[in-house]
Amino acid sequence: MSDPLNIPSRKEVLSDYQSSGQDFVAVYPIHYHRALLRAHDLMPVELWGPSQYSTTSADAHLQAYTCSVVRCGLSFALDGGLEKARAIIVPHSCDSLQGLGSVFLDFIQPKTPVLTLYVPRGRREMDVEFFARELMALDKSLAKITGKRPSEKMLHSFIDNEQKADSAMEAVLNNRIRIPMSNRQFYELMRTRQYVAAEKFEKLARDTLESMQQDNRTDCSHKLVISGLVPEPAELLSVMDDAGLTVVWDDTACIGRRIYPETDDADPYVRMARSILGAPPDSALGSSVEARLAHLLDLTRNKQAQGVVFWSVKFCEPELFYLPQLSRGLELAGIRTLLLEVDISEPASAQVQTRLEAFAESLT
Amino acid sequence: MSNKLPVAVGIDLGSAFTKVIALDEEGKVLQKIIEDTDPYTEKQAGRLLDGITGGEYHRVSIVATGYGRKLAKRSTRAVTEISCHAKGIFHEMGHGGTLIDIGGQDSKVIVISDTGAVLNFTMNDKCAAGTGRFLEVSANRLKIPIELMGKTALEAASEVKITSTCAVFAESEIVGLLAKGKPVDHIVRGLARSLVLRVAAMAHSLHPPKPFMLSGGVARSPAIRAFLAEALGQAVELPEEPQIIGALGAALMALDIHKGK
Repeated sequence: MSDPLNIPSRKEVLSDYQSSGQDFVAVYPIHYHRALLRAHDLMPVELWGPSQYSTTSADAHLQAYTCSVVRCGLSFALDGGLEKARAIIVPHSCDSLQGLGSVFLDFIQPKTPVLTLYVPRGRREMDVEFFARELMALDKSLAKITGKRPSEKMLHSFIDNEQKADSAMEAVLNNRIRIPMSNRQFYELMRTRQYVAAEKFEKLARDTLESMQQDNRTDCSHKLVISGLVPEPAELLSVMDDAGLTVVWDDTACIGRRIYPETDDADPYVRMARSILGAPPDSALGSSVEARLAHLLDLTRNKQAQGVVFWSVKFCEPELFYLPQLSRGLELAGIRTLLLEVDISEPASAQVQTRLEAFAESLT
Repeated sequence: MSNKLPVAVGIDLGSAFTKVIALDEEGKVLQKIIEDTDPYTEKQAGRLLDGITGGEYHRVSIVATGYGRKLAKRSTRAVTEISCHAKGIFHEMGHGGTLIDIGGQDSKVIVISDTGAVLNFTMNDKCAAGTGRFLEVSANRLKIPIELMGKTALEAASEVKITSTCAVFAESEIVGLLAKGKPVDHIVRGLARSLVLRVAAMAHSLHPPKPFMLSGGVARSPAIRAFLAEALGQAVELPEEPQIIGALGAALMALDIHKGK
């Protein structure tokens, strides 16, 4: 299928930022609020890898059981990939990312300022208050770098933009089955949210919705939900396309679990905190297995998906702890599951491709 | 071997061996070939298929399976070894259950329904532990012909515990055990046990229904069969020719295609 949207790559966008003098911030996974950066005139560019990046530089700093997302991300930084960023933000999403923050601050001490962000593992009012204070502290740290002090009005305005972009993303996901795009193209589009401005993403999403068919596509043999951290290596999406598998909803940490609900608190920090902590059930936000299972059951039923593919990064503990119970619960409900365990620093192995193809065959 | 031309051919391009089965209209086996897989797999597949079809591809449906399935350019369809093994074993045994296939480079556990459908499966990762390669590496180090590994293991009076489940580390462990003067047959028995425990753990992860069935080249080892039965707590059923189950399943799928099913 052609690419009528001209979806920009991360590299192209970064190159544009650099040539136009637009400052950007490198952000590691998972949860943070883009509006806070935008209010400082900083473009967030997220770092979920890069995929298939040599981990040699990072290996000396990390334990053998650290996942490849952190390993690739640290290697990229050590190899000078983040030198042009105004700052590096490391949210405390899991032990490995917390460790990465410490490695940066205590050992590597790069020239680029490193800012950490503690994300609570709960959704109580006290968690919202704590997270709001964390966001406020991040705002102050950014102010030291940019010299800007965004007003509350400005913050609200950027939060509004992000909410519109999230809403557009949700609309695209909801209409996935009517959008004539391969899985690979679809993910290329959805993942632009990680590096283009909210306004630009919203336009891409709205253009996509305009192109959608009146009826559901007829070329979808099997409907799937993908769950996990990040759909890399991306060639597996092409394997899915060839095998007649269509992703009808995404439950990955990089996309579906970051469709944040709209909030309207008067305090912009509380508004951002409440929105993030209102995200769909997520192991990184401390959601229970029961909540995760109920969410996946709802998704598969609503989208009439036949299966869930757990696209897991090797050693990703927050995800792997939940897997046995999630798989069992879905299987008991008659929903097939498949575990793909990948190392994003490497190309997809033949065994992983065979698993996907065999899964498709077994759904026939 | 028959002079009759087949209507359906299954070719299993495995990592260690390539197996071909040719069927006639009634599903009778006309020809069966097993040979080492060549590094030039595409060429090998072409040669085998040219020979078995007499070049009359328009008359024959061909299903290719195994890791090299996409290299059989003349095939009608490429199907994974999971589906082909399930089809082949169901045809041979006439019932569902749990198939354990231990091949040269990978091992898999497939849960098969009463109607022959694949309900669930798991495979080893890139690691060679729990596969025929694990035994090959070990046999090479111990200078025992691979075909005698099973007999040697079964007849050993005692067993050395092999702690490593990695083929590469197991080789280092063998060197250490030999240095300590451990008898070779005790080590061989320990190796067979180690492989079986790895595969049994994979099987248990699927909550496997009974009966258990075994296929793949490694199924020819009597020690693997015996130890697997011990680990699973019940006898393991064996088809007549465990090594060709994938190719047979592929041939049966080709026959279905030929008949328009």
